[in-house]
Amino acid sequence: MTIQQAQEAAPAEGARTTSRPAGRRSKGWTRTQSVLRGVVLGIGAVAFLFPFYYMVIGSLQKKPNQTLSGLIPDPSNLTLDNFGAVNSRISLLSGLLNSGLFTGGVLLCTLVFGVLVGYALAVLEWRGRGVTFAIVLLVQVIPFQLLQIPLYVLVARNYGLADNVLGMILPFAINSTAVILFRQYFLQVPRELFEAARIDGARELRLLWSVAIPLVRPALVTGVLLTFIGPWNEFLWPFLITKQADRQPLAVSLANYITSVASSTANPFGAVTAGALVLAVPVVVLFIVFQRYFVSSDLGSGVKG
Amino acid sequence: MHHPRRARSIGAAVVAAALAVGLSACGQGGAANPSLTSKGPITIWYSNNEQEVAWGKQMVAAWNRDHPDEKVTAQEIPAGRTSESVISAAITAGNAPCLVLNTAPFAAGQFEKQGGLVDLSKFPDGNSYIEGRSGDLAKQYRSSVDGDYYQLPWKSNPVVIFYNKKVFAKAGIDTKDPGLGTYAGFLAAARKVVKTGAAKVAIQPAPTSEFFQMDTDFYPLYVAASGGTPLVQDGKATFNDKTGDEVANFWRTLYREGLSSPEQYQGDAFADGYAAMAIVGPWAVSYYKDVDWGAVTVPTPNGTPADEIHTFSDAKNIGMYTACQHKGTAWDVLKFATSEDQDAKFLDTTGQMPIRPDLASTYRDYFAKHPQYELFGSLATRTVEVPAGPNTVQEMQTFRNAWTSSVIFGGKDPAQALDDAAATIDTLEQQP
Amino acid sequence: MTAVTTPAAPTPVEQIDRRNPNDRLRHRILGRNPLGLLFSAPYLVFVVAVFASPVIYAVWIAFHDFFFAAPGADVSYPFVGFANFVYAFSNAQVIQSFGNVGVFLLINVPLTVVLSLLLAAALNRVIHLRVFLRISFYVPYITASVALVGVWLFLFGGDGLVNNLLGPLAPNPSWLVNQSLAMPVIAVYVTWKQLGFYILLYLAALQNVPRELYEQASTDGAGAVRQFWSVTVPGVRPATLLVLLVSTVTGANLFTEPYLLTGGGPNGASNTPVYLMYQLGVEQGLPDVASAIGIVLVIGVLIIAWLQNRFAGGRD
Repeated sequence: MTIQQAQEAAPAEGARTTSRPAGRRSKGWTRTQSVLRGVVLGIGAVAFLFPFYYMVIGSLQKKPNQTLSGLIPDPSNLTLDNFGAVNSRISLLSGLLNSGLFTGGVLLCTLVFGVLVGYALAVLEWRGRGVTFAIVLLVQVIPFQLLQIPLYVLVARNYGLADNVLGMILPFAINSTAVILFRQYFLQVPRELFEAARIDGARELRLLWSVAIPLVRPALVTGVLLTFIGPWNEFLWPFLITKQADRQPLAVSLANYITSVASSTANPFGAVTAGALVLAVPVVVLFIVFQRYFVSSDLGSGVKG
Repeated sequence: MHHPRRARSIGAAVVAAALAVGLSACGQGGAANPSLTSKGPITIWYSNNEQEVAWGKQMVAAWNRDHPDEKVTAQEIPAGRTSESVISAAITAGNAPCLVLNTAPFAAGQFEKQGGLVDLSKFPDGNSYIEGRSGDLAKQYRSSVDGDYYQLPWKSNPVVIFYNKKVFAKAGIDTKDPGLGTYAGFLAAARKVVKTGAAKVAIQPAPTSEFFQMDTDFYPLYVAASGGTPLVQDGKATFNDKTGDEVANFWRTLYREGLSSPEQYQGDAFADGYAAMAIVGPWAVSYYKDVDWGAVTVPTPNGTPADEIHTFSDAKNIGMYTACQHKGTAWDVLKFATSEDQDAKFLDTTGQMPIRPDLASTYRDYFAKHPQYELFGSLATRTVEVPAGPNTVQEMQTFRNAWTSSVIFGGKDPAQALDDAAATIDTLEQQP
Repeated sequence: MTAVTTPAAPTPVEQIDRRNPNDRLRHRILGRNPLGLLFSAPYLVFVVAVFASPVIYAVWIAFHDFFFAAPGADVSYPFVGFANFVYAFSNAQVIQSFGNVGVFLLINVPLTVVLSLLLAAALNRVIHLRVFLRISFYVPYITASVALVGVWLFLFGGDGLVNNLLGPLAPNPSWLVNQSLAMPVIAVYVTWKQLGFYILLYLAALQNVPRELYEQASTDGAGAVRQFWSVTVPGVRPATLLVLLVSTVTGANLFTEPYLLTGGGPNGASNTPVYLMYQLGVEQGLPDVASAIGIVLVIGVLIIAWLQNRFAGGRD
């Protein structure tokens, strides 16, 4: 399987020790080249950040100004009313709360059950381990499309979880990428630590809790960040499963707002960007705060298996 | 939200699948059919627009006052892209309410096929009550499968053309008699509006391809031009004829000459003065308070007089859903909510037209007091619906696809596009 | 597809098994730590409930005349063979939607591979502003499409900023209502949105390219461009394969963007199979046809993934 090959071809071992940029080589690089690099990266950064700037500007405009002059904040055209306008049609607070419940449930399940299975795959030896790991990898590759309709019938009817936060959580409950990440980290914990503790008579759960987990704390943070993005931003599934407005996560109610309500407000541009900002800010802040844990090699080893 | 995260293991899945199919099969078994007379508390949904909510609360309070043992719990219909997909999902999940006072006629056939709707004709006074209230107007709401009523025809929103008087004045068009009755007159006015720059476009129905968008461009004009012929009649599409072609060519001219835009407007085109005209129902009277508007009936090739013209009803009906435990109470509430007295309150609160043949005489006082509703009141007796069959939504989508590609985006010749759509619809009509 | 090999397992240390024969028997059947199965049980149940059973159910639905029915309704779902597939693929819209996704992939996948590798290689060598640059590249990836689409909608609207910037050069009809531009705009949007993730993958892969190779190439007189082609590109090939795979699967999943940006229009030019599955399955009450489309789509994706694995994954 491809992911497996990737892992074998590029072992994650020592990844972080080499993650510093290679200063020594820089004498081979001419000044032009580093200027060029700066330009490429600069253009990249502007292209990536500009829509966010535009989101902030738009959400604060009293009267929509979509011309070039609208890019510069005009003190006479600033207002916070747009947030009020969105909030009057969709409850931002309950949307955020539902998104929080949805995401929190997924995080909890992934941390508890994901760590358990990750530990079992890395440290324990049992029949079915190979098959289980194969399943975890397959989960990565197969798309969601085929599942949406039968899953709806199963969850809404057979499990009776329509308009229920559990129904929202269920398909996302255990993030398989996080499982692979946890497994990868547990594999890097020296085996002797476990054997020594076992000889001391420690039970497996205790071993996991007091020996293994403290050692892989960075993986847990990365796992949280990685898992957080999924449910917080997910649209299609909660959109299908929740019909009651007061049960919908913010991504869904905001999408409904964009497609059906925004056009009837006085300043649709302001209202849409204001809603977008409320949805975007929590995850961006979370990311900036924790980004130092989100080291590329972590995720790299995660997706490479 | 995009990286792959799904999978299955075929091996392990076989057991689970057997389980899943088994479970769903169990779900279908043994149709529970509690009698139609059971009484007790029920739940209803009504539309989420402000006026209807106000009326609904009043109606429920009035009922609950006199029926402490059969309390009605009401809520707004849950938000979704369309009410119909919400209801369909609720039917599937088995948690639909007893009554939905916002059941779209075009979806009723599908709900019926899903086993979601109660056959109202099975109530002893079912047919007599419905036809007693709505007369011949009711007949077009019968099921195309067995001729029974699976929906109670409730209220219509006969559509007309609103025009912005200020824009018309700026374009040099007579605001009292704008001459919009014929296609030629309409096009002449539209050209004036755009040429003088009084508004960016003349009229701007949504150019998108949702199936129901035909209600705001093709269908009202077709119903009017054909003297009240519905989209489908006796299991055959009707529009692939001269009348349909004329309507299509009329709209194609508007799009081709830039009098309408194939680009969707972000915002309310009529309220913002982007479009000079709009196709609207009586709801628009209170909605466009800030616009100085005039109203005329939709154009026809030769200018059908206002007191003869038919129009699209844009009706919303009341459906009773099979998940209901106390159908006896639901039926009583249904009759209570559509009584002459409640209909009067409904008309007064919402301005929408209860489906009653003698509307103008029954509520003479109302129309005397609210002359801006008079045109709608007179049209309400000559409304035409999209007939409810099991595949109506598919048929409307078929039509809409042909329409957008040919008329809006100038693809295939309209006559050819309508012929093709009609052929597909004819086959859909043959399917259960 | 090659069989999945079990990762190098820790060598079992034969010291616990000495205690009694019962233990030994148990170990032979369940492995040395049967607790592993218990620990994995929640995950396995999850996979069965959420992935395995829906897939089989979907296949069953696709071969039957299935529709959503009320619980307890007296309905039957007769077996119809390939009728749903025939119905789906005799519809011009369905064919068109697959073509649209093809267009999408042709733009999105190469653009993604090239841009993410270039930016990752540049980012890997930069010293100043590293954190800032990293954050700015990742931010679109971590932000909800729903939020970003709202902004793009206005950027590329008829009277939007982009058209204001272009002035007379603005396309007519405008971007999102232009039948030949709508899908490319969506493809560029998705590339932009997802790029951070792929940059991350490449950055990880770049750490594993042995530094000696660069030094060797440098002594051989290879310039920066030569080094990039002869060391970096082959060095990150496993990552490239992964990027190809993930972006293909993601692209085939395309739903939210056309749903919100264009509504599948104009005139079906940005319709996608998944969006059609939603329209047919949920709005028009044809889950059986939708499932048939889904099965064809998944098979198509698997074939493309296999081809990529075969030709780009290659030699090892």
